[in-house]
Amino acid sequence: MSRNTKVRNEPPTTNAQSLRQFNDQLGGWTSQFVRRTGAHQGAGRMVVALLLAVTLFTVLNPRVFLSPINLQNIAVAAPEIGIISIAMMVVMLTGGIDLSLVAIANFSAITISTLHTAIAASDPDLANNLGILIVLAGMAVGMLGGAFNGFLVSVVGITPILATLATMQIYNGIAIVWTGGSTLYGAPTMLGAIGQAAVANAPLLFIIFLAVAILVAVLMNRTALGRMIQLEGANPVAAQYSAIPRRSVLLKTYTLGGLLAGLAGVLFLARNPTASADYGSSYVLLVIVIAVLGGTKPTGGFASVSGVVLATLTLQVVSSGFTAIRLSSYEYAIAQGVILITVMILDSVSSSRTKRPKKKNPPHDAAASSEAVLLRP
Amino acid sequence: MGALRSLRGSNNEGVLALVLVGLIVAMSIANPSFFTLNTGFSILRSSIVPVVFALGVLIVVITGGIDVSFAAIAIFAGYATVSFCLNAGFDPGLPGIFAIAIAVGAALGLVNGIVIAQFNLPTLIVTLGTQGVFFGAMYTWVGASYYAELPGSMAALATSNLLDVTTSAGRAYLHVLVVPVLLLCVLVAWVLKRTMFGRSLYAMGGDLEAARRAGFLVKRTQVSVYVLVGALAAIAGVIHIVLSRSANPRDLVGGELDIIAAVVLGGASIFGGRGSVIGTVLGVLLIQVIKNSLLLVGVPSAWLRTAVGVLLVLGVGIQAIAARRNSRRMRVIEDLDTAQKQEQKVGS
Repeated sequence: MSRNTKVRNEPPTTNAQSLRQFNDQLGGWTSQFVRRTGAHQGAGRMVVALLLAVTLFTVLNPRVFLSPINLQNIAVAAPEIGIISIAMMVVMLTGGIDLSLVAIANFSAITISTLHTAIAASDPDLANNLGILIVLAGMAVGMLGGAFNGFLVSVVGITPILATLATMQIYNGIAIVWTGGSTLYGAPTMLGAIGQAAVANAPLLFIIFLAVAILVAVLMNRTALGRMIQLEGANPVAAQYSAIPRRSVLLKTYTLGGLLAGLAGVLFLARNPTASADYGSSYVLLVIVIAVLGGTKPTGGFASVSGVVLATLTLQVVSSGFTAIRLSSYEYAIAQGVILITVMILDSVSSSRTKRPKKKNPPHDAAASSEAVLLRP
Repeated sequence: MGALRSLRGSNNEGVLALVLVGLIVAMSIANPSFFTLNTGFSILRSSIVPVVFALGVLIVVITGGIDVSFAAIAIFAGYATVSFCLNAGFDPGLPGIFAIAIAVGAALGLVNGIVIAQFNLPTLIVTLGTQGVFFGAMYTWVGASYYAELPGSMAALATSNLLDVTTSAGRAYLHVLVVPVLLLCVLVAWVLKRTMFGRSLYAMGGDLEAARRAGFLVKRTQVSVYVLVGALAAIAGVIHIVLSRSANPRDLVGGELDIIAAVVLGGASIFGGRGSVIGTVLGVLLIQVIKNSLLLVGVPSAWLRTAVGVLLVLGVGIQAIAARRNSRRMRVIEDLDTAQKQEQKVGS
């Protein structure tokens, strides 16, 4: 930035030039301001959207929307969708997509419910004492599901869309056969306790959600694996030539996605001790919407966990707000689609705007090219 | 060797046909009641709607995109037409009904096309969004009630059969709609193979940027592709309503993946640039035969989903491994190639 100001403080020669300089400076200030607030990124944009949504529904129907029960519902419902969205974000970071996440989450929930019911049939106390082990088994199932996705994508070399499309059918199909299409009841009491518990009025589920978000953010931004995942998505060719072990990175990414989905399955059970094969089938779209809204680039390489968390909250607010002003779930489906497409259009328009002037009239490049001319023998 | 290769087909259609014949022979040996005219006709009947859908998906996949909103467009167009005719209390006849539905479907496809072409957005995510919009719009503004009675001309079409054969196993019906669907297949195959429009679809799927520089009107073609898919989906929607003899707004949506699976099994490349109508039809038939035979062998219908998923993994996995083996000789180019495909897939 210092270099820019130096260039701009030179005495203006003509009127037209000074006007242009002033214009450049104004542009510089606004873009700097925008960058500082983070409004061009998922996180900053979602803060604005969240505030807008909350204000809108508060004005429209404050009695229902601001009721403690409604706010509690938002905080309890957000974690399960939010964690699957974070899983989707991680996978999208590599430039892939995972359509099987919801199926994996259901699979994990069904595993836990079945194990618990089977053990509880002979010894209810034992089943509750083994609660942690049962939950871990469920998450292991999720991890295995993710690892199989990773195997198909990285070793076999199937496109992520198709591989996860297929595994979604497989996991979902097995779950249907397993449950016979009916809803299972029963979960370790420990999970129910977690679902009910609250720390200083904040539901424990919500705190778990934030903790997971922070963990994933640290993993993505502060570890070698996270860096490699980002590079793989940003530019696969460059990553290849930088000796990034593509196979193992992809394998780990999808396994992590499966593990997070498994955790979401645990939260399903904590909120409501029932599991079924087709629970949350509408989440597949919702989760992609949230990930993209939160600033994840569908082409990979860029994502922000805080953006995804805020997008989750925003969509939960919109969903409960629609209920508060008595709009149907179908109108909510329309809103989801419209929001998704609008945001993507805005992204595409703003990115082409920021690119274009740089190409046409770049102060840096002008300097660089004059240097280049001087350097030319 | 050359004859063998030409039998195999450019997109492995020969192999697919062989698998299909093998499966039918195996099923007939395992359960003689499989190999009857009744089974054959019922498989054909159940393939009518998927084949029309698959033609639309094939066109999009050839251009390198993916569309998951076609089922929502189909039921929107079909259901809106029926509900309009019933509420207005008039029957425009079959051509009229198809015309209204196709207009609605093409208009919805135009929305997809404009958003995708104008802003250069990933097709999967756009159509996921419009799928929700179309479905929600139908429920909110068109209606949500189930119509058990259809307009007269549609009801008449539902019961008209091309062939009505009495065999030892009972009477077998071949539905008359098999004929127009067959004609539609020939038409799409002709467009893809013999017209400039068809060429430009393959060119765009091969390399969008190259097609642009070669002078193809990429944006305009993209928009027309999605309009065409909307129109095809609308035809499938009306046919579905005719065959099921009722208009249920809950139908069709959710079955998109089976169609995409069939198209990909039929040899169309998800990266674009490859695919044929024959392969697509064979892919649809294969899935329908497997569904039918699983039921006959006594496998519970709950396994169908899993079976389709496994089939997709096998089909696409074999394709992926074969593609890698083919290019293994050129080490560096292979690496670059997979990376580019990675990018392309992401852009699609």
